[in-house]
Parts: sequence; C-alpha cells; structure tokens
Amino acid sequence: MNRTNARTDTSATVHDVLIVGAGFAGLGTAIRLKESGVDDIVMLDRGEDVGGTWRDNSYPGAACDIPSNLYSFSFAPNPRWSRGYSGSAEILGYIHHLVDHYGLRELIRFKHNVTGATFDETRGLWTVNVAGRRNVYARSVVMAPGPLANPGYPDIDGLDSFEGHTIHSARWDHDYDFTGKRVAVIGTGASGVQIIPELVKQVDYLKVFQRTPAWVLPRPDYDAPGWNQALFRRLPITQAAVRKALYMVHETMALGLIWKTPMTRLLEGISKAFLRHQVKDSWVRRQLTPDFTIGCKRVLMSNDYYPALTRDNCKLLTWPIARIAPKGIRTAEGIEHQVDCIVFATGFAVQKQAAPFPVTGVDGRRLDDEWARGAKAYKSVSVSGYPNLFITFGPNSGPGHNSALVYMEAQIDYIVRGIRTILDYDLKALDVREDAQKRYNERLQKRLARTNWNSGCSSWYLTEDGFNATMYPGFATQYRRQMATFVNEDYRALKVPA
Amino acid sequence: MDIDLDRMLEKVKASQWALADIDWDAPGAETITDEQWPQLKDFMFDLMWIEHVGARGFAAMARKAEDPVLKEMYTYFHAEEQRHANAEMALMRRWGMLEEDEIPLPNINLRLVIEWLDTQSDKVPLETLGSVIPMLEVALDGALCTFLLEQVDDPVCHQAFERINDDESRHLGVGFHVLELQGHGKAHRLLLNFLGTLLSPRLIVGMATYVPLLNRMRDNIVAMGLPEEKLYKAMGKFERIGGRTADGRRNPWFQLISWHGRQVINRRNRLYHGPVDAMVKLSDYYPRALLRSIPTWAKELTDRPAA
Repeated sequence: MNRTNARTDTSATVHDVLIVGAGFAGLGTAIRLKESGVDDIVMLDRGEDVGGTWRDNSYPGAACDIPSNLYSFSFAPNPRWSRGYSGSAEILGYIHHLVDHYGLRELIRFKHNVTGATFDETRGLWTVNVAGRRNVYARSVVMAPGPLANPGYPDIDGLDSFEGHTIHSARWDHDYDFTGKRVAVIGTGASGVQIIPELVKQVDYLKVFQRTPAWVLPRPDYDAPGWNQALFRRLPITQAAVRKALYMVHETMALGLIWKTPMTRLLEGISKAFLRHQVKDSWVRRQLTPDFTIGCKRVLMSNDYYPALTRDNCKLLTWPIARIAPKGIRTAEGIEHQVDCIVFATGFAVQKQAAPFPVTGVDGRRLDDEWARGAKAYKSVSVSGYPNLFITFGPNSGPGHNSALVYMEAQIDYIVRGIRTILDYDLKALDVREDAQKRYNERLQKRLARTNWNSGCSSWYLTEDGFNATMYPGFATQYRRQMATFVNEDYRALKVPA
Repeated sequence: MDIDLDRMLEKVKASQWALADIDWDAPGAETITDEQWPQLKDFMFDLMWIEHVGARGFAAMARKAEDPVLKEMYTYFHAEEQRHANAEMALMRRWGMLEEDEIPLPNINLRLVIEWLDTQSDKVPLETLGSVIPMLEVALDGALCTFLLEQVDDPVCHQAFERINDDESRHLGVGFHVLELQGHGKAHRLLLNFLGTLLSPRLIVGMATYVPLLNRMRDNIVAMGLPEEKLYKAMGKFERIGGRTADGRRNPWFQLISWHGRQVINRRNRLYHGPVDAMVKLSDYYPRALLRSIPTWAKELTDRPAA
C-alpha cells in the first residue's frame, strides 16, 4: 500500500469541499453548495478561465443541440437568450454571468492541473496532487472534469507527417485564415456538422471525410424576438413554462431514441425525408443514410449541414482513410487528397475505462483498476471504496434525448445532500456500500441491454467490449427521481472519533 | 477456406497502397506494340469497368453484412476495387489510350448493369452478391490479369498488377470463406431462401443484365487472343475452391453460379449461347431514352494520383 501521497502536512488548510473543474458542473455544484450554507469551497481548473467545454469549443458554428431554455440551470434562468439554440459564445457568456452573480471567481484556482487524489482513511481526508504545485486537502472531493474535455484524435498512420496546418475542433486556431485554402474535415459528428457549413463559406474547396453517417434531424432554431425576452424578464413564470414544455417534448423523444418502438421508425422516416428534401443526388443520399437504429449513436440537429455538402466547392468522401501523407490524406481508393489544412472534428477522448486522473481509495484501491473493464458507480455519483468522493457525469449518467443540464442539476443536488450529510454529522467517511452499488448496476445493465445504444452500432457510448458505461437507460424524469432520494442505508458512515 | 476475419482485416489495412506509389511516367510504355494497342485498349476498358461495377457490388455487401468486421472489410474492398479501376485508367492514360481529360464511357451492357446495381443491389441478399463476386474475381484474377501480364511487357503494368493481384487474393480468400459460411444451415431453408430470391423480379432483371455482359466480354477477350481454356481453368477454380467443403457445396448460390460458369465456357451449348448472344445484339438496340442518368458513383473514376 502506497501512502506517500496521503501524508498530509498538518499545518496545511483542509477545505470542506474541493471541486475539480470549473465548467458547468463544477460551477453549478459550487452555487448549490453555497446556497446550502457550505462556504469553504476550493475549485481547481487546469485552464485559464471558466467554462470547460464551452471555453474550449469556440470553432465556427459551435452551438448547443438542446434549446437554451433547457440547456441552462433552472435555478438561474436567463431571459436574454438571443436564439432558440444559442451559440457557444452566448453559452459561455451565461457561464461568466453565473460566476459573477454567485461570486465564484474567488473560489477558483486556475492553471491547477490535478494529477491525482488519495484518500486517507485514518483522517478522513482527500489529498489532491496538482502538477508543479503544493497538494490541496479537503474532506470531500467533487470530480467535475467533464466527460468531453480532452480532444480525441483518430488513430491514423502518418498523422505527424502532414506538412500543412492542423486544427482540432476543441482547440480552434482563430488566427488561421481559411480564405482560398483547400481544407479537409475529418469527422462528421456533432462538431463536424456545425463546422462544415461555416467553413464551406470561406474556403476554396472543402473535402469532408466521413466514416459513419449520423441520423440528422431538422433544428427548430429561431431568433428570439425582443418581446419574448421582455416577457421572460417581467414574467419569469412564462419562461419556466416554456422550459417545462421543452422538457416534456424532449422526454417524449426518449420513446423513439432510447428504445425501439414505432416512434423510432417515425423519427427515422422524418430524418430520411429531411435528407431527401435537402440532397438530390441519390448516391450522396446513400452515403449519408445511416445503417443503424436511430438513437444508437448521438442524433444530430442541423438545417445547414446537408446543403453545405451539396455546394460546388464541397465533396463528401466515404472511402476509408489509409494514411496521412505530407501533402494530404490518402484514402483506400488510391488517391491522395491534397489539402492546405486538416480540421479534426473527431470529438473527444471519452474515458469509459479509467478515471480522469489516478484516484486511490480505501486500502490503496485504484479507480483505474476497478474501471478497467468499464466504469461503474452507484447512481452515477458515488463509487464504493472511495468515500467522500462525488462524480458529476460519472458512469451511466448521459442522456441521449434530453438536456445534459437537467441530469447535471439532479446530480448536483444529490452531491450537495451527500456533502451536507458529511458536514452535518461530522463524518470521517461516507462510503456507498458495495452490495448497493452491485444491485444498482445489475438493474442498470439489464435495462441497458434493451436499449438502442446496445443494438449493434459502435459508438463512443460503449467500450470496445460493448459495455455501456456512459448512458442512463430511462427518461430524465426517472433519473431525477432516483437522484431525489439519498438512501442513507446504502451508505456506510464513519464518525470522526471524539 | 477458413480464415480469421479479424486478422484479415488488419492485413487489409496494413496493405494499403496508393496510385502515388507507382511512377506512371517510368520507361516501358513503348513496349506496347502497334498491333497490341487497339485490342489492349478494348480489353483495359472492359477490365476497368468490371472493377468499377464490382466496387459497387462490395458497397452493397457492406450494407448487408451484419458482422461489423465483415462490414468494414467490404467497405475496404469497395474502395480497393475502385483503386484498381483508377490504376487501370492510369495505365490507359500512360499508353495514350485516353485523350486529355477523357473518361471512358460505359457500353450499353455496362450501362444496364450500372443501372441495376444502382437501383437494386442494396436490396439483394448478401448471399447472392457474395456468390457472384467471387466468380467474377476468379475470372479476373485467374484469367484476365494473368493473360494481360503474359501479353504486356511494360514493367509499370507488372508493378501495378502485382499490387492489384495481392488485393484480389485477399478478396477471394474472404469471398470463399463467406460462401462457405452461407452454406451452413438446414438445406431446405437454404433452398427456400434461394428460390425466394431467385424468382424475384429484381433478380430476374439482374440476371438479364449480367448474363449478356459476360458473353460480350468473353467475345472481346477471345477476340484479343485469350485461349478459352484459360478462362475455363479459371472458372473451374471457383467450382474447385468453393466446392471444397460440404458447406460450400450446400450453398445453392454456389451451385447456380458454378452451373452458369460451365454454360458460359461451353461454346457448343447452343441452348444457352443462342439466346444470350441474341440478347447481346438486342441490347445494342435498347432504347437509350429508357436509361436513367449515370449515377454519380459511376463518374468517380480518376487516373490522377492526387486530387
């Protein structure tokens, strides 16, 4: 057992709560903790500003797939959303507003990259290691590093040999001038379908490399009129009603997206009709038609993606990529597609079988080892053997049909209850029982087996062995209900000796 | 032919090559004689188009395959057949068979096959295409390409076909493996499925386009001097390898294609060749107005290594 990391400096400050990450989840947790009377909070973020994924994803066209009135905290409504689906800059503005309004900035230590965390069971303390800095100590730790934090690059030979410019969607280079350039976009997922319509307006020629086509649905976007904003400001109940309506519409989508029902066919029919309406060439339509059940992978929402692909200066390529050469991309049909710049819209390296940083729990157990065959937790938030540790967007907490922030709020309130329990009862350790976690996961996996996610497509939701450690198999309402109760009996509590 | 599909897919990925790997301007083009040139042009034209339509067949199979490894394999094979067609076009360009920016246009039988593939192939069961394609590959690999290399001394042609044949041998390995897999199961069920597909209007039309194309090509090839025995030997290979195991022999599609292969190479069978040759002639009179416009996939050929 290695306890070197757990050795604490007795004079060091011990905080009540340490939050890793100052994105939506971390900031939301801090707000709710403060509201519940917990003030001794420290937040660590590896970046230089708040915002997490919305700070990092500033590529042209970046926007949310969920209406802004639902992709925001219910406890902090924003009547000033300018559009139905806001862009990343406006969402980031909302996050900055939260930080200022709730006075969170003073809690945050930027450029603090957490490299490990170890629990000292004798003292009931977490020691958090920070790259190049002194350790930070806390009674509880909230891991909120975000599931979509690290850019993912495809596994293609010769990636480093390319002599032109490369840009990842999550690390956009705003200084690069695309005018008159020949550009390749690799990836046609959530970020790809937003970047492509913007880039095609600027570049000389755009080549889009697609591996698997996604189901695309129209996005009912609109400019929010002034009277609407005024109404929301003066009568907040109207905005709450709109939010509720949007929530219910998205909940209904679960019927088609999560499980295979007649509604699944209906949604696929809508998507196919949308494709037929926007793309006239039958071969291109075939290239863009998915051959898996809708909902199995993330469904995309875009009105301008298909039209962008049909422009004269754009070409969709579906040949497998053989390798990247110094001047371009070689595909399996034997041709080298020469370009000035490659844009990687390849999403994120989502960790389903490892913790974001080494986490050591009771008796030296390591989270990476336990999650090697797929991450498991209790109600997505607690992991047995890791007391006083809470995770946002932990295992099986992802929605495929509703706002991530709805799920996040449920997690945050649950975490606040857990932390309050530790502080109110002055607990040394609050650890979920192993059998409770096991029972929870058995039920979960049984339900997951019947969902569209496990219907045979390969997606970032699943591990290579097909284990689903990402999604919650049910309605958001079900998830919220399970998170609304903190079952004390499912936890083992150890008191600080008097 | 029992092969490990996972390992085969890895091998396919590791064996990728590009047109840029070959120096198309290297010396040797002058070895094509004036007598060879016109017939070689027709031969290359047919070969290139057969590879190109074969590619579309693999695209349909990639859609149909349920096994993700096989699905990915067929996606690669689709691209590889296109690569072969591109390389063959590059050879035609090298030998001065194409004017500047000229793209060879398909003849009427090819047009009909393209049209059928475009509209119907995605609806045909995997086992049907999975049996026809190995036969075409065997004929291409075992007869046409071998014959071409015997006739042509150009080292660049040899270099290109060495790579093409390597790819084709992998296609054949997988093709025969799948042929056997699909012969597994209860005989009466296999037969019922077979008859259900065979008697569908979709397949009857498919056969009516495929059968005359083969005869037209055979005539072109024989006219160029290919001894018929070579074709016979190559097609016999399909029967020999495909029928090596009980499962392979139980596959009704294997039996049909083998039987058909025997008819194609038996010139004395007037009962078969009389009507089919008539169909070839008749197809020349097929009203062009009835043809749909050429699908965009059929315009994807290029001889340029870089795009």
